[in-house]
Amino acid sequence: VPILMKLKNGSSRVAGVLAVQPTSNPPEGFSPHTSCPNENTGVYSETYGPSYAHCNVTMWNPLGTGISYEEFDFPIFSVKDDNDTEVIRRCYMEHNRAVNGSTPQYPLCAMQLMSHMAAVTDTATCMRRNAPTFSLAPDGVCDPLGDANIWASTKPLNSSTKGHKDGVSVVIAATKLDSRSFFFDVAPGADSAATGLVALLAAASALHNATAELNRTILYTFFNGETFDYIGSSRMVYDMAKNDFTVDLDNIHSILEVGQVALGPDSRLWLHSDPVSKRNSSVNVETLVSNLQAAAAGLNLSLGEPNVTQPLPPSSFQRFLLERPIPGVVIENHQTSFTNKYYQSMFDNAEYLKLNYPPNLTPEEQLELVTDSAKALTEVATTVARGLYLQAGGELAQMSRIQADSELVSKMLYTFLVRVNNSWFDQLVKSDWTGVLSELMLYEINTSERKVKTTEPALMVQCILANLTGSIANITEGNCQDKKMDKDENMNKDIYSYLWVQGPVRPNSTERDSFCVRSLVRQSKALSPAFELSEYTSKNYSTWAESRWSAIKGRIFLVASHDLEMLTLGVGVGVLLMSLLLTYIVSSKADILFSSGREPTNATY
Amino acid sequence: MNLERLPNEEKLTLCRKYYLGGFAFLPFLWLVNVVWFFREAFIKPAYTEQLQIKTYVQRSAVGLLLWVAVLTTWITIFQHFRAQWGEVGDSLSFTIPRGTP
Repeated sequence: VPILMKLKNGSSRVAGVLAVQPTSNPPEGFSPHTSCPNENTGVYSETYGPSYAHCNVTMWNPLGTGISYEEFDFPIFSVKDDNDTEVIRRCYMEHNRAVNGSTPQYPLCAMQLMSHMAAVTDTATCMRRNAPTFSLAPDGVCDPLGDANIWASTKPLNSSTKGHKDGVSVVIAATKLDSRSFFFDVAPGADSAATGLVALLAAASALHNATAELNRTILYTFFNGETFDYIGSSRMVYDMAKNDFTVDLDNIHSILEVGQVALGPDSRLWLHSDPVSKRNSSVNVETLVSNLQAAAAGLNLSLGEPNVTQPLPPSSFQRFLLERPIPGVVIENHQTSFTNKYYQSMFDNAEYLKLNYPPNLTPEEQLELVTDSAKALTEVATTVARGLYLQAGGELAQMSRIQADSELVSKMLYTFLVRVNNSWFDQLVKSDWTGVLSELMLYEINTSERKVKTTEPALMVQCILANLTGSIANITEGNCQDKKMDKDENMNKDIYSYLWVQGPVRPNSTERDSFCVRSLVRQSKALSPAFELSEYTSKNYSTWAESRWSAIKGRIFLVASHDLEMLTLGVGVGVLLMSLLLTYIVSSKADILFSSGREPTNATY
Repeated sequence: MNLERLPNEEKLTLCRKYYLGGFAFLPFLWLVNVVWFFREAFIKPAYTEQLQIKTYVQRSAVGLLLWVAVLTTWITIFQHFRAQWGEVGDSLSFTIPRGTP
């Protein structure tokens, strides 16, 4: 980091930086994110818990350097350490290295890095330039960041009627599914996003058969874009407040959020709650906490509340608190600051979670192997599932039949962090979708071009959740695509969603047994309200936008010396002048040079 | 067009047309006037219409210099400060370069 800042300050002499990814994570930790994530869009401000605002009490990300948010005038590329990098090193060694203190001679090795970005200054400027006053056919210069949230309920809710639903009491189980890093497209987010995501998916699967008789509905919400000032959760809360969502804020009974839950050596998880809203006697957090403690009884982990009065860590729950004081708890693996040394960096990967797959196994065998980290995460998922069961009105005696499946957890961790292209996920995927997913799936919320496009991580979560919480419907592909049980039924399409899934490969053939899954899983738009309201300088909502760019590529080549170039130019100019001179001489003496000796007077025309 | 072949009265009317046309925010007409009629006004031996042609050429030159001064100033200011003018700058621009402020 100090090197990067030095390069930034001397930037007139630096044209570009190429960074080689190390083969293993740096042991001292590295976090390019800010040390107080999302400090301006959380709930703590001058008007709400001012002593907790801006990480006054606890610095959540102490290793944070903030370089992800610094502006660099030169491109910084990241490459893996492989054959191409060897070529680059060799080029430098052979041509650019100074030998015995003398300067290197031409031809020298040069590299060109191209990553032209169209947008400048800030979001307000670039959104304004998207639609200029005089324009023939304007090309946009930037797009707002936006994607889709995935949500599902345990009981059918009619999604065409928006706003308050009488008699419906909802427990929200939330987590985030995106992350970022300093470089584009290398953001695995293992501890920061994947652990919470997989735990909640496994909990949803465990609760699948037990929720029908419960008093309250559980709403699983997977928010997208939380890294960039809570895009997904702020949008959902905005929709709820405007009566534009299936339920509204008064329907919410309590909120349980699953944050970073990779278990450390002490197997402890911490239950964070908001000190400001707890003072209000109508906000009952103690029931939720005691339900979770009961849920963890008999399992291989222990839950505790932090013994310091401190605010909530950065979490989607804070956006709900901005609107209403709702009881809620955020489950994290850290008591005060993050234990994640690589928060929002490219090193927050499978290696950090100790998902060590022996290299001599085939991908299929690796998929089936249940690592210790997966077993630990299964305990967390079981706790979350049982806690939700109790909170939603379930009985303590029935709780022990709810158990998360460690093989499922292991497969999901493998899919999200090691390799998407595996046989388990292939079976669950929508059948018109194969070939779209790239080989190694990495999180990062993507941009929308005025209409929200759902990118792969959200679609993956949707497919997995549908398969885990839905039921197989024995109908044809046509009816499945039309969202009906049989060709005459019309009423259910606002309640259920249908997915035509690829299915397993038949033995001894390449055909697949596709089938239809009927579930209660839906998408909701995750575009910041600032863009809906066109308030591009909003202080309340996220205003992140991404610039449009042309091809990103680099190349190396040998470059000739300056003297040689000047010589070539000089010779060319000399030839030009010579030829002009020659032409002038010849044309002025033309009559002498080209006379044929005969008198040209008697020419008749 | 070769001015040599024109009679003097027609040279005068031509010069006058270019002079008057330049007032319609067309400084290039004045530039053409100055360059084309310079020889006629100052170098050729005197004839009756030459005095009038001379005044037209002189006034065209003055107008041209004024225009050059105004345009140079405005273009310099605009190029330098457009980025800082924010929204006003963008509404004055027809094409805005991509990738620079």
